[in-house]
Order: sequence, then C-alpha cells, then structure tokens
Amino acid sequence: MQIEIQITTLPVPAPLPPPPLTGAGAWVEFRGIVRGEENGQLIAALEYEAYLPMAEREMRCILEELAGQRPCLFAKVIHRVGVIPAGETAIYAGVAGRHRAEAFALLTGFMDRLKRDVPIWKCRALTADNLAKLQAP
Amino acid sequence: MRILFFAHLKDVTRCAELDLACGDVDTDGLWRKIINEHPGLEPFRGSVRLAKNSEYVGSDARFTDSDEVALIPPVSGG
Repeated sequence: MQIEIQITTLPVPAPLPPPPLTGAGAWVEFRGIVRGEENGQLIAALEYEAYLPMAEREMRCILEELAGQRPCLFAKVIHRVGVIPAGETAIYAGVAGRHRAEAFALLTGFMDRLKRDVPIWKCRALTADNLAKLQAP
Repeated sequence: MRILFFAHLKDVTRCAELDLACGDVDTDGLWRKIINEHPGLEPFRGSVRLAKNSEYVGSDARFTDSDEVALIPPVSGG
C-alpha cells in the first residue's frame, strides 16, 4: 500500500482529489475538526503538538500493520499541529481500496490506533481573547 | 542521554528536554534519575510510556547515554 504522511502547521486543503489509481473502487475520507467547545466552555482554537519523528513513524507502522489485515491501495494522512482555529481540520485521512469495506475498515482502525498510540497532543484550548493576542502583530 | 518532555509534562518540568548522564540503566533506574531531577513527575509515572529513539519500549528496556528518550503522556491527537 502506498502511504503519504504529513505533519504540518499549515491548513489542510479542501477538497483533496482522489488518487488516480487503477483498480481503486473506493476513496474514503475523514476529517477531524476542532470543536468550538471544550469541557462545556466556548473556545476559539486548540493548540496541538507532536513528537514529530515518532508520530510519523507510528502512523506509518499502524497503516502498514492494518493493511496486512485490510488490503488497500493508498493512504494519505495529514495531521495539523500548532494553533488550529475551531471549525478547521486537525486531521485528514483518506484511504483508497478496491472496495469500500476494506477502505472504511482501515480508516476506522487507523483513527482508533492514532488516538491510542501516536504521540500528538492537544496541549491547550484558546479562548477568542487568547487567540486574538496570539495573532496580534 | 537526551530526555524529551511533551504536553503537560513540560509544565511540570518547565523545560522541553533534559540532558542526563545515566550510563547503562534499566527502566527503573532511568525513572529514578528523571524523578530525582524533576520530582513533580512522580505522580505521572504510571500513565507515561517511554519511547527510546522514537519507538515505544517496555519495562524490560535498557538505556544508554547515546539514546533519545521521550516521556509520552496519554496521547490526544486527531
């Protein structure tokens, strides 16, 4: 399975085109977005941090392991770090497979494992005031 | 040995990394040295996983001064 992984501070583009793969009959995508509330409080953004080399390595290992059970053709993951405003994409994952069943299964399995094993953290929630101060020149 | 701290552990240690001379130590020995430098980490030991050179390791791991060790608190990506 071909794998592309990016960890970036830049916004995740929308939409992303499906890969031009011969044999792919399914292109399943997931976007995790930053909620506008945290513990019942309104927030304007979340700040994420990652242990970069290990986060990339873990994501690749997880995808390769899952592909052994759910053979797919291609997986692309983009995880944004730094300050991410509410409503914007924190993680994008797309999986191409010959059929939808294995693509959905691989994507679901990946997200479950990511939330357990990939060293990325939501390190603080920012209110609108906090965010404005951060963005002030 | 380079020790890395992430997320709330950085608030406890007030730093992102620490250089520590440990020689050749096992997991318990390493934790003793880290907690000796930053006693505030003691309550987190039970929930923190150790990674050696970007890979999770178990309680039977050994560490030398050339290793990069990361303290990995429960993750929350996605």
